[in-house]
Amino acid sequence: MHVTKEFKKKTFLKQFLLGLHVSNSISNPISIQQRKNSIKLSADLAMAFARGRTHWTHALITKLGQKEENKSTLKGILGRRYEILMARYSCPLLYQKVQRRKKSVRSYRFSYNAQKRRSSALKGSCVRVSPSVVARNLENRRTKVLKRLVPGGELLNGSALLSEALDYVISLKAQVDMMKSLWRATQVSSSSNVELVPSAPLQKKDASCTIANSEE
Amino acid sequence: MSSRRSRISEEEINELISKLQSLVPESRRRGSNRASATKLLKETCNYIKSLQREVDDLSDRLSDLMAGMDNNSAQADIIRSLLSS
Repeated sequence: MHVTKEFKKKTFLKQFLLGLHVSNSISNPISIQQRKNSIKLSADLAMAFARGRTHWTHALITKLGQKEENKSTLKGILGRRYEILMARYSCPLLYQKVQRRKKSVRSYRFSYNAQKRRSSALKGSCVRVSPSVVARNLENRRTKVLKRLVPGGELLNGSALLSEALDYVISLKAQVDMMKSLWRATQVSSSSNVELVPSAPLQKKDASCTIANSEE
Repeated sequence: MSSRRSRISEEEINELISKLQSLVPESRRRGSNRASATKLLKETCNYIKSLQREVDDLSDRLSDLMAGMDNNSAQADIIRSLLSS
């Protein structure tokens, strides 16, 4: 985590602006849904570029690039690097495996609970499942969830997965903070366009009056 | 798993616990390593999900605000946000 916050901010904003510019130039006029997608895409890409080369940033860019609606924007931003990146990190088989695994996590959870109920019903008393077994199963389940959440997490295990998750969380938090400050700045500018400042000359008059009074 | 690798992962887990504690409110900390790791995993997953939802929500709000703007005002806003923070 040697990237300083200041450096990340500037890179993020530059990339975000570039992303918006590219997607606006591609589809113009733009629907609200398209604008939202382009903002989200630009923000994710900006976060990835600001962080630099990590496993999750490559996985994120690849995942975003696989969606049909993002391809033209990505090509516009990356240029020649697009082909290289997509070739190096895309793995369509893995993506399919992930989809199948999603279902199996759900069915695993269901069957685990059903099994417990069945065994307790059969034995007619509370089945003592050893707490360490329960804890281990819980840990496995949650690790699977984390693998799904962190981009590129399916390929990682143990300490690598945890360090990637930590890095991803920090970058996500920075992305959220940047977007919040951007939103605040946009709000200020859009409201200041509407506001008039009629009270200013009045205030000046008052000030001059008080000065005159105090001088006397 | 060699002992060296498990030592590294314990260090990383401890590092993750301390870093996440500063980011996410976490109630209990004591207990066996496995129990805290499980709770940690749950807190991390929930935190990631909530951050992703926030990004989505902010994208919505920004797209509403930027609807009436052209590219130049967006640039001005971005520069202003850069200077203010």
